[in-house]
Amino acid sequence: MSGFGTLTAAWMVADSSAPATRGVVLEQTRALDKFLAEIERRAFRMAQMSLRDPDDAMDVVQDAMLKLARNYATRPSEEWRPLFYRILENGVRDLQRRRTVRKRFMTWLPGPKEDPDHEAQDPLDSVADNAPAVPDILMQDQAMQKLEASLRELPARQREAFMLRNFEGLDVAETATAMGCSQGSVKTHYSRAVHTLREQLGEVW
Amino acid sequence: MSEEHLAREQTTLEERSRALFQDSVERIDMRTRSRLTQARHAALEAAERARPRAWFLRMPVLTSAATVAAAMVLGVSLWVHAPAVHHATPADAANFEDLDIVASSDNSQDNVEMLQDDLDFYAWADKTAGGEPAA
Repeated sequence: MSGFGTLTAAWMVADSSAPATRGVVLEQTRALDKFLAEIERRAFRMAQMSLRDPDDAMDVVQDAMLKLARNYATRPSEEWRPLFYRILENGVRDLQRRRTVRKRFMTWLPGPKEDPDHEAQDPLDSVADNAPAVPDILMQDQAMQKLEASLRELPARQREAFMLRNFEGLDVAETATAMGCSQGSVKTHYSRAVHTLREQLGEVW
Repeated sequence: MSEEHLAREQTTLEERSRALFQDSVERIDMRTRSRLTQARHAALEAAERARPRAWFLRMPVLTSAATVAAAMVLGVSLWVHAPAVHHATPADAANFEDLDIVASSDNSQDNVEMLQDDLDFYAWADKTAGGEPAA
């Protein structure tokens, strides 16, 4: 009966430690939830600015959330931000690559050359809005549109460096982790991005 | 253009673009916010399902296995230590003889007939045993 006694003892030890472990897991899930809730809207906007499509941006953000939660939830929470943006940037790049291939393929096909990524416009969108526009919001919208247009013209790596450093507030080391390059490259990309943007927007702003 | 002026321009650009970006984030519509929240919950649930469970979280299974093992050990031990042979006593032997007689009850009719045939002999034997001279 000593075997059974040992098993019972093991069960008792395990039973006393299980709630504590469950507590750790629960705490980790809460921390991850809080992190994702804090980051998700900015991530969505950054993906949208790169992809120019809200549905694609949503897909990429959702995929990044899933991969982070599945593969890196047990990592220290300080590592989550650069890891999340690395996954996100990879997703954005993959989607852009697929689009390029699809566009090349579509040009070989007969028929109307329509942009397959461009969905049919909602007729309501073209209806003039008679409500008085608030001047401040209008000006901000215009400024944001110019910024987005200028960002889109930047090379992808420069745009990534600018958005991660300036919008998300990552430091050079975190940006390097997110972009998968050296810190020196991050500095170079960022410096060039700022230089180009200043040339394009300096006079307007 | 001086270095100081360039640095000031850069700071202005950074601050202005950051403020615009933050403003656009805050003006994300409710539908998109709701979709993001759903995506987050789905990601967390998927991660929870994918999480490998520790051995002690599978205790109900282990407890069941332990219960079955304990029951088997108890059963085997009772079987091994149970008295294997029932020693016969004299009373048991008599009972077995009675059982033989009962079992051979199909001959009882023959015995009765035999008794009826030799009735005179038994009467004579009885008298002789009682000290009476034979006729």
